[in-house]
Amino acid sequence: MSWVGKSPRRKEDDRLIRGQGLFTDDELGEGMLQLYILRSPYAHAKINSIDTSAAEALPGVACVLTGKDVLEHCDPYMQLALEPAANIQDYPLARDKIHFQGEPVAAVAAETVGLAMDAAELIDVDYDMLDAVLDVEEALKDEILVHDNIGTNRTWQGVYEYGDVDKAFAEAAHVVKIDRLHFHRYSSTPLENNACVAEWTRQGTVEFLCNNNFPGFAKQLLAPGLRLPIENVRVRTYDVGGAFGNKIWNYVYMALAALASRKTGGRRVKWAEIRTEHMLAAGHGNERTYVDTEVALDKDGVITALRSRHLDDCGAYTRYEPLGCVIFSQVLPATYKLRNIRIEMNQAVTNKCPVVPNRGYSRMQQLWFMERVVDICGQELGIPADEMRLNNYITDFPYETPNGCVYDSGNYPAMLDKAKELLDWDKWAAYRDQARSEGKHVGIGIGTTLDSGTNNFGQAQIMNPHLPFSGNSEACIIRLDFDGAVVVTLGTGPSGQGHETSASQVVADELNIDPSMVTVRSGFDTNWNTFVGHSGSYASQFAVTGLSAVHGACQKLKTEMRKLAGFLLEAAEEDLEFGVGEEGPQLKVKGTDKAVNYWYLSNIVNNNNAVLQGALEDVTLNVRHVYRPPFNVPDVEKKFGNLTLTYAAQLHIAVVEIDPATCRVNTLAYAAVDDCGTVINPQIAHGQVHGATVHGIGAAIMEAFDYDEGGNLLTATFSDYCPITSMNIPDIAYGNIETPSPFSYNGAKGMGEGGGAPLHTMSAAVQDALHGAGVIVTDSFVSPPRVYELLQNPNRETAVSVG
Amino acid sequence: MYPAPFNYHRAGSVAEAISLLSNLGDGVRALAGGQSLLVLLKARFDTVTDLVDLGRIRGLDGIEAGNGEYRIGALATHARLARSPVAEAIPIFQDAANGIADNQVRSRGTIGGNVSSGDPSCDWPTLLIALDAQVHCEGPDGKRAVPVNEFVEDLYLTVLGDGEIVTGISFPAPEKGAAGAYVGFKRCAPAYPTTSVGVQLTMDGDDCKDVRVSLGSSGLTPIHATGAEAELRGKLLTDDVIVRAADAAVAESDPIDDQRGTPEFKQLLINTLVKRGIGVARRRCAGEQVEVSHEYY
Ligand SMILES: Cc1cc2nc3c(=O)[nH]c(=O)nc-3n(C[C@H](O)[C@H](O)[C@H](O)COP(=O)(O)OP(=O)(O)OC[C@H]3O[C@@H](n4cnc5c(N)ncnc54)[C@H](O)[C@@H]3O)c2cc1C
Repeated sequence: MSWVGKSPRRKEDDRLIRGQGLFTDDELGEGMLQLYILRSPYAHAKINSIDTSAAEALPGVACVLTGKDVLEHCDPYMQLALEPAANIQDYPLARDKIHFQGEPVAAVAAETVGLAMDAAELIDVDYDMLDAVLDVEEALKDEILVHDNIGTNRTWQGVYEYGDVDKAFAEAAHVVKIDRLHFHRYSSTPLENNACVAEWTRQGTVEFLCNNNFPGFAKQLLAPGLRLPIENVRVRTYDVGGAFGNKIWNYVYMALAALASRKTGGRRVKWAEIRTEHMLAAGHGNERTYVDTEVALDKDGVITALRSRHLDDCGAYTRYEPLGCVIFSQVLPATYKLRNIRIEMNQAVTNKCPVVPNRGYSRMQQLWFMERVVDICGQELGIPADEMRLNNYITDFPYETPNGCVYDSGNYPAMLDKAKELLDWDKWAAYRDQARSEGKHVGIGIGTTLDSGTNNFGQAQIMNPHLPFSGNSEACIIRLDFDGAVVVTLGTGPSGQGHETSASQVVADELNIDPSMVTVRSGFDTNWNTFVGHSGSYASQFAVTGLSAVHGACQKLKTEMRKLAGFLLEAAEEDLEFGVGEEGPQLKVKGTDKAVNYWYLSNIVNNNNAVLQGALEDVTLNVRHVYRPPFNVPDVEKKFGNLTLTYAAQLHIAVVEIDPATCRVNTLAYAAVDDCGTVINPQIAHGQVHGATVHGIGAAIMEAFDYDEGGNLLTATFSDYCPITSMNIPDIAYGNIETPSPFSYNGAKGMGEGGGAPLHTMSAAVQDALHGAGVIVTDSFVSPPRVYELLQNPNRETAVSVG
Repeated sequence: MYPAPFNYHRAGSVAEAISLLSNLGDGVRALAGGQSLLVLLKARFDTVTDLVDLGRIRGLDGIEAGNGEYRIGALATHARLARSPVAEAIPIFQDAANGIADNQVRSRGTIGGNVSSGDPSCDWPTLLIALDAQVHCEGPDGKRAVPVNEFVEDLYLTVLGDGEIVTGISFPAPEKGAAGAYVGFKRCAPAYPTTSVGVQLTMDGDDCKDVRVSLGSSGLTPIHATGAEAELRGKLLTDDVIVRAADAAVAESDPIDDQRGTPEFKQLLINTLVKRGIGVARRRCAGEQVEVSHEYY
């Protein structure tokens, strides 16, 4: 009997459904202060002065923080970027200049949030508005500087070149030139906004309860920012209401709660972002423009080479960037076998919200680009989308990409077949042809995508060779409690992915017990000793890093349990079997009724150790295991190396009909096929696929962070931004195939990001529907108003040329 | 999100509400369901010194029919209206009530508050223009009734004077055989329509005997599309006539450029929705059961 591969009830759901979860904003406490952040209404401005006297005088206000406090008590946060971008001064509050609308200018701690907001209204800030630079191409001209001290807006540039690109172009049967493509700004807008509770204790330590989803990393940046030893900062999380990468750099603002606590003599301070703040300043997904794209193809439509320039807009601060300028290369050729590639990657700061890793981070932007390339070439050369893919898909695994990444396993043609079957491809293809003959705009789009998981942090050195990061790891502690209960703690800090459940399935299989007999401690705590620098929930890695740590810890525990039980039962270790007896989980001597249960074992070690008479000193029944995937440091010069361990894949197909009377993109059918290797918990995997699909469809047709020329965010509320709701979601036919990963102990691949598959798919479907009307889809956002523009101004003449 | 502090008063009667609203200065505002007002106050886009809660005034939430007209109290909520006999009798009513936001908003928001918001994106004023409704007001100078298409003067501005409140809405019962449709185009439930159109049609055989057409989210106020009506009234409803009516409606609209779309895109929608509305209204006039409300992204 194996629990892995089944869908036992999720352990988390009981408390969540009963409203007994503990999200950060649920934390209550006597005398807790509430923090409210005053934010800049302008995108780019000089701060002449800030007068906080009226705010400070308001009864109930405990303290007001400005750039002065920050300069006095903080050091700028460490930047990952190389010089000169490394010198961007990133503090929790603006000092003399505003760089984007929503940048914190002051913070008020008061007895209630309402009071803090009242006080914030009394703060008088004198600004001089400056012209804003909002477009990455403009920014790269360096005419308006976002950060004056670094003398440029460029934060990174690098060329990824492999094979013999020029030769391939010289020999090409066709060369397709694509003028300009654009991947728009949006984010996954988790239901729970950023929040933290901070306490600056009398001992000089800081305690944080927060919802950061990469706490191992956050702590390493937060502590030096607050001028504290890392050990003095405790970071704790519990239930987190969605993160999608978006909560990676909320440490920037968490510091404000700590500073307010310090300034008020150690009172606990809560900061809970409101939705508009989240939309303005909690981080957007990377926006990317692709110019000068040229594609070489042979006479059969096989892509032989590609060259282009990519311009990434990272908003006002780099923070986790310019990592995106490397992360994309995990999936450089996407699912395609071309060997000759030259991509010049550029990034610049602009006067917009800083970017933050967002579900599918940076790979999605590359995959969307590659899928556009494939579809535009196919459409222009008259090769159907499915054929184009079958001609170009990678088919032999493990596959080393031109830049040294190793795709572990996969079967894209099988996924295509499966998706076609789920969709009823032939029926829809016939429908499309019929509808077209009646003048209707019906299109079928395919999107293939990769969800690369378990990063090799060594790739950070491609971006900045001085960074002391490489590899990856995750920690797990497993022990038997006094009563024999199996207790597992993890460093992963989940935000809805069901880690308690899937970890318990793995433990149950290892110990041959029931998952209900395993307690998995929720959340993350740097006081628990169960963490490493890579700990967190991000970048599709739990099924590999988290579960490998759990699995490794189980092996260590089992070894100890066998030794101890063998000693107590006077039996050979190999004669013992794990199982459940009348007195609960136990070890038994095979073929006999001689057994010891877990309580007995635990009690010996913890309370009754004289029985051991000095034997088995190394047995503690409390073991820690750190899993480290087998990575090398990449070749930084050549930008070559294995950047991720596993490559889950998704293949989506959409059938859309565009009503010219409303420009609505009506999805008639949608199929999503997933391959995440061996599935640990089918229900959870299905949920992740569904969620990623819905996020992607929302991004494709509804969600965009639009700025006006002044740098004002026009979609700063849910009413304006309109995240996707159940009414907008088509029926999604779901299927999966399993190509087990040869690189993980369990055959699983990290998953959950979905690689933005719906964006590629919807772009492709709209393109297919409107190609006859002279339209090339060059933007990832295809909302009805955008479709209207496309139909009004068919762009095929200028967007693409075939030679 | 928390509003700035204000004083709260609960009015027990219309007279008390009027007196409170008249005597508490410039910063006083009536509060009904709070679904527009509290949103503004919480975002601190607006501040008030005093709120006069109308919610407990008895007898202001009636939904009645008789003497050839319908009378609806200002405090009737969207949700109650959607389930009321009026909605059953007049399909256009149901179309609108069910299409307003989500359950939470419908359970709290009132027709009086919706009309008083003076918001061109609100559904009720547009719909009520199609039904030729009167807005009943009461203030320090007594009672008056204002035709709904004259009630909203400009963006967020109504004819209500100081201390004056809306007590109810009334409209003539549609003739037998008359029917309408209220259709909108929306991104999702909790967002206001991108544009919406109300059509109330009275047929005489295949001819349009009488018609009212109204446009929502199509300008700074809800619009009574009299030009479109003129194209239809007294005519045989051929495709050509309907196209001309839709074009006329577009010419009467003046939509703004915002997150929901450009003016040109919205005019495409207006054109489409007028045609669609006429089509549905006509089928309903012929006795067909047609379910419509809004089309979502
Ligand atoms: C997320 C969301 C989505 C929405 N979507 C839609 C939509 O799609 N369509 C739509 O039509 N509406 C929508 N609304 C608005 C909603 O319908 C409101 O209920 C309505 O606009 C206001 O009614 P209320 O009773 O809540 O009024 P309140 O918010 O209490 O008051 C609104 C204004 O009217 C005044 N007022 C209220 N009652 C009276 C009265 N009797 N006499 C004089 N003045 C009065 C108040 O002083 C205030 O200025 C939405 C609201 C939200 C929060």
